[in-house]
Formats: sequence, C-alpha cells, structure tokens
Amino acid sequence: MQVIARHAAFAALGLMLGAAGPADSPVNVPEPEGLYTGPQKGYTPATLKGATVIDLKGLETLLPEAPALIDVVLADRRPEGLPADRPWLPTHRSLPGAVWMPGAGVAPLAPEKEAVFLKRVAELTGGDKAKPVVTFCRPECWGSWNAGKRLIAAGYSRVHWFPPGVEGWQDDHDTAVAKPDPAWMRADNERAPQR
Amino acid sequence: MKRLMLALSLTLSAAALTPAPVLAGATDTDEERAARWSEIKASIFGDRKVEASESAVKIDAPVRALDAALVPIGLTLADKDSVKGLYFIIDDNPSPYAAHFTFGPAADPGEIKMRVRVNNYTNVHAVVETKDGRLLESAKFVKASGGCSAPMGMSDEEAMKGMGEMRMKFVGDVQPGKPAEATLMVRHPNFSGMQMNQITRDYTPARYIQKLDVTYGDKLVFSLDGDISIASNPVINFAFKPEGQGPIKVVASDNQDGRWQHAFPVPAASN
Repeated sequence: MQVIARHAAFAALGLMLGAAGPADSPVNVPEPEGLYTGPQKGYTPATLKGATVIDLKGLETLLPEAPALIDVVLADRRPEGLPADRPWLPTHRSLPGAVWMPGAGVAPLAPEKEAVFLKRVAELTGGDKAKPVVTFCRPECWGSWNAGKRLIAAGYSRVHWFPPGVEGWQDDHDTAVAKPDPAWMRADNERAPQR
Repeated sequence: MKRLMLALSLTLSAAALTPAPVLAGATDTDEERAARWSEIKASIFGDRKVEASESAVKIDAPVRALDAALVPIGLTLADKDSVKGLYFIIDDNPSPYAAHFTFGPAADPGEIKMRVRVNNYTNVHAVVETKDGRLLESAKFVKASGGCSAPMGMSDEEAMKGMGEMRMKFVGDVQPGKPAEATLMVRHPNFSGMQMNQITRDYTPARYIQKLDVTYGDKLVFSLDGDISIASNPVINFAFKPEGQGPIKVVASDNQDGRWQHAFPVPAASN
C-alpha cells in the first residue's frame, strides 16, 4: 500500500515539475529515440523496438536454448557518511548462470566500456548474433532496456528484454550469488558512472 | 560432482554437530546463504562460537513484506533473565549488522519490536548474548527487496523536519512488580545513504541514529547501536521493570553529530 502511495507521490511530483520525461507515469511511457539518459530507476516503456519483451513464463520457455543472460544491476556503493568502521559487505544475487556487468545499461557510457560490453556478449554468444540474449536488472529499471537497445544496434537479432528482472525471477526460482564480471570490471577502473 | 560435494559437506557439518536451521532441503542456494552467514558472523563475533537455538530467540517477521523499507520484526526471548544483549542481522543487506541491543538492570528483555529495511530476499538472524557469554542464534527467511534504496517520497528537507522529536507510549497502567511495555518513536529519516534524490539524482548521504540510550532513573533499560538498516522514523517496542524513580530518559545521537534528549514521565502506578 505504502509502495503505491510512494509511486503516486512521484508521479504527482513529476507532473508538478512539468517533467515531460518518460518517467512520470507507469503507463504509456514512450520509447526514447535512442538510449535513455535519465536515472536508471524509473517507469519504463512496455516495448523495446527490435527486441522481444518477455515475462517469467517467456524466460522459462527460452531457457532450454541457453540464452546469454546479461544482468546490468548497479553495484551497491558504500554510502557517503557511513563511518569507516561499519562493515560494508555488499552482495548480489542473480539468475543462475547470468553474467553480471554492473552499470552496463548506463547512458552515456564511455566508448571503451561499451566496447567491452559488446565484446563480452560476443564471447557469450560465440560470435553468433542470431543467438538469444536476455537483458535484465530490477523492475522499473532502464539499465536493461538500454543494454537491450545497445545489442539491437550491434546487430543481435534475438534480443529479449526481461523487465521483471531478479525480483521477477526469485519469487519462483533460486538465485545464485553473482560476482561482477572480471573482464567488465578490469575495464572499469573507477570509470563507470553509477547513476 | 557438485551434488557429491554438497552431500559431503552436509555429512561433514552433520558430523561436526553444527545445526544449520535454514538448511532444510539444502540446495546450492542454501549453501551460499550459509557461507554468507559464516562470513558475517566472523566479522561481528570473530572466532566466538555461535550456537543454533531456535528456542532462545523467536523471530517474528512477515514471510513476504508489504513494504521492504518498513519490515516489522518481533524478537521474543525465551530466557529473559539470562540475556545480556541482542543482535539483529539482515544477511544480504550490504550493511548486514542492523542492530545491537545491550540490556541494563531496568530492562525486561522478553520482547523487542522494530522496523527494518530489507534489500533483497534474505535470511535474517537474531543472536542472543547471555550473561555467561554464550551466543545463541536463530534465523528466518524474509521476502522483500529494494528497502535500502527506496526513496521516502518527499524531499530530504521535508524528511528531516522535526528531526529528533520523540514520543513514548506506555501500554496500560504501570503496575508495581510487573514489567511494563512501552513504544518509543523517534522522528529521524535514518537515511541509508543508498537512497537517490529523485530530482537531483544524487545519493542522500547516510544519516542514521547510531546510538539510543534509554534509562529509567539511574538504571539503564537498553542501549541500541543502530545502523542504516533501521527504517526511517524508528519505532521500538520494549519493556522495563517499573521499580525506577523519575522519568524514562532517552538520548539519541546520529552519525552526523545530531544529539537529542527527551524525558518521559512514567504513568503513575495504580494499585
């Protein structure tokens, strides 16, 4: 209930500010022309041109084809103001077998980071652009939408966007602890903006 | 091979007589969760032994929380006279160590209630520390996600309005010789540092109640070490022994040098 109230409050806030951005309503969010450069968290469109939008059932149906599962959930950052002696032990759980590239759906993304993202997906699909790929993060997250958009632009023909993300998966299935993809993080070196 | 390893490790743990309460129908996931708990345990308790004891402390929590930023937790302690302290840990929160209560002579530590933030589907653990130095743990799985980063739905200024104000509600009349129940409410956003300001897109720095001391007369009821996992506008239910003199005094301080103090008269005991 409170969650709904909170969403309503933000919707109202968006309207008040006259923010014509796509993030001010859960319905009829238009697809931006290119990548979405607003905050990662926000209402997303129902569609992604060139990709198949799938729900949990759609994902379950696709899994026997062993799609590349690309998780772009942002990594939790140590909060500013947290005393140095507090243990900070962030952990991330994802779909088993997923490759986690934190922040790979951020836009803009440094060109060299984008190159690493595409290289990693190419490796995961064995260089076959007709192989199925699934992008996801959490509900109401533009990161996975952008990641899908990037792959479509790169010529992948079977991009699947799974908007329910980790939350939509863990209701019915086990998750596994995911570590950030080492190749992605190596390229990172404090580069990626986290918003 | 994986299965074999799992079977092996289960056998080993059974052999070592380490009860693992959340391992019913063990899977890789359970194994990972157990490993996580071991890591956290070591960071908090070092090499002290933590014994599983579902009966020492019972955790009441919704299996599925309505609001991950406000998950109600009830902790019932079986042998309250032997209790010295109580830890509450939310395993998969990035800052898992949510709360540590130290009880004083004026406490009646039979039950504590509070509200916490839960970042993702996770085990939560309560650990009782007894006066003779034993640590007794119990666990529960909670389904909630996004609680640490959930924005409050208002501006930071608005959220901080009246910061440090407090109220205390006493349950019924305070009877001599009988433990009395009270609810302490503190107005404070308890910013987790993981909440993004939806307009500026900056993260609001962590600002949370670090210490809460509740005394009755000259005796301590409890002292709480808090963390960013405590929900905004902390509400804590506790009980105390009504033998003290004077008001109940509360001193709260946060990690940004905020300090507040209030005194609440205890309703007169009726005969």
